[in-house]
Amino acid sequence: MRYLLYFLRRHYFYFLFLLLEVISLVLVFNYNEFQNSALSRFSGNLSGAVLSLSSDIYEYFSLRRTNKILAEDNANLKSDLREAFYKVDTHSFYRKDTFYKLEYNYISAKVISNSTNKRNNFLMLNKGSLHGIENHMGVIIGNRIVGQVVSVSRYFSWVMSVLNKNSKISAKFSKNNQLVNIEWTGGNYRIGEVREIPKHVVIVKGDTIISSGNSDIYPEGLIIGTIEDFTIASDENFNYATLRFSTDFNSLSYVEVVIDRMHKEKEALKASFKPSN
Amino acid sequence: MGSVYLKNIIRFFFLVFFQVLILNNIRFGGYINPYFYIYFILLLPFDTPRLFLMLASFILGLTIDLFVNTPGLNAAACVFMAFSRPFVIRSISTGTAFQPGSSPSLNNQGIKWFAYYSVILVLLHHFLFFYLEVFRLSEFFHTFARVIFSSIFTLLLIWISEYLFYKREK
Repeated sequence: MRYLLYFLRRHYFYFLFLLLEVISLVLVFNYNEFQNSALSRFSGNLSGAVLSLSSDIYEYFSLRRTNKILAEDNANLKSDLREAFYKVDTHSFYRKDTFYKLEYNYISAKVISNSTNKRNNFLMLNKGSLHGIENHMGVIIGNRIVGQVVSVSRYFSWVMSVLNKNSKISAKFSKNNQLVNIEWTGGNYRIGEVREIPKHVVIVKGDTIISSGNSDIYPEGLIIGTIEDFTIASDENFNYATLRFSTDFNSLSYVEVVIDRMHKEKEALKASFKPSN
Repeated sequence: MGSVYLKNIIRFFFLVFFQVLILNNIRFGGYINPYFYIYFILLLPFDTPRLFLMLASFILGLTIDLFVNTPGLNAAACVFMAFSRPFVIRSISTGTAFQPGSSPSLNNQGIKWFAYYSVILVLLHHFLFFYLEVFRLSEFFHTFARVIFSSIFTLLLIWISEYLFYKREK
């Protein structure tokens, strides 16, 4: 026992090193559990307070761009208003009734921290559970995708950017609805990778890739990007292509969080369908 | 003695905020992002107890992690760097005793010594940091390039501050 204590005291440096490294690595690799922990919520509020201060300053540098995006968005929305339509048939009337049920709500939030230069990028938004944001909600800007909420504290939320190792987006070709997956392989933040393109799909440079709506995170039809280049793999079952993101991840200032009002219903349906054993 | 503590505590907060508020917003071509905050570990006095050296580095790493939502990543790299520091110092110093309470610096230890010291430790930190972050062999060379470019930038900042802020102690 005395020798053991002596041994520990003599080499405490190595043990301490191992201990601290193990703690760090456990944190690194249990990342998903960490996101849901109380510690994460606490640190979210703490770092959020500091980061929102700095974003208040940085915000001024992107005002012009933000304005432009807002104006474009407004124009899009205005063209959907009833006033924008000329009534052709004066005999029949359309009544809004139970044919339509609201599926998506949007909450506008400010980006207070963002990165594009890491392998795994995150954004922090200045809204949290208090404003109705929950885990797994999609984040978009206009009709383009940004990421997915992974951790929520009371006033802030962390968003996993599309520019992340763990991000995989279900998408499709807008021309023929063929399903593909979108990933980011690091490096240039404007370029992503389209994976699992079926062999029979004819790829043309400039093809538009949109969100499929299959993942319950993003609504269908958001523009993800256009095909930049492609390779025909002769020995595999799928072709690959690179895509130019339509989102400029480096200049995000205001984004919208998508609230899927039918999310619970979809989840319940999925859960009920699991084979019982 | 008290001033050494105070100096390091102030340096700790300054480097954390500098890293989080300014350097993390710098994005050059997807490759370069300097991790200047590790300057804190480089500058701890020679006679810092190793226990304190490691714990301080661990806390430093975790603090940075809080702001970029990468739990444990910076902490792991910092602890490794702090662990290596005494070995690096021992292997590059040739029998000269250090003044109690003095910190490694360009002017006191000389250009060659400080170059070895900073390059080795910064590379150790960056290698562990980037490879742990990516954790994929398929991106090996791409990550290697990121390590090198970021190290160059970090070292550049460290050397500039060495020249700017430290006067020769006689």
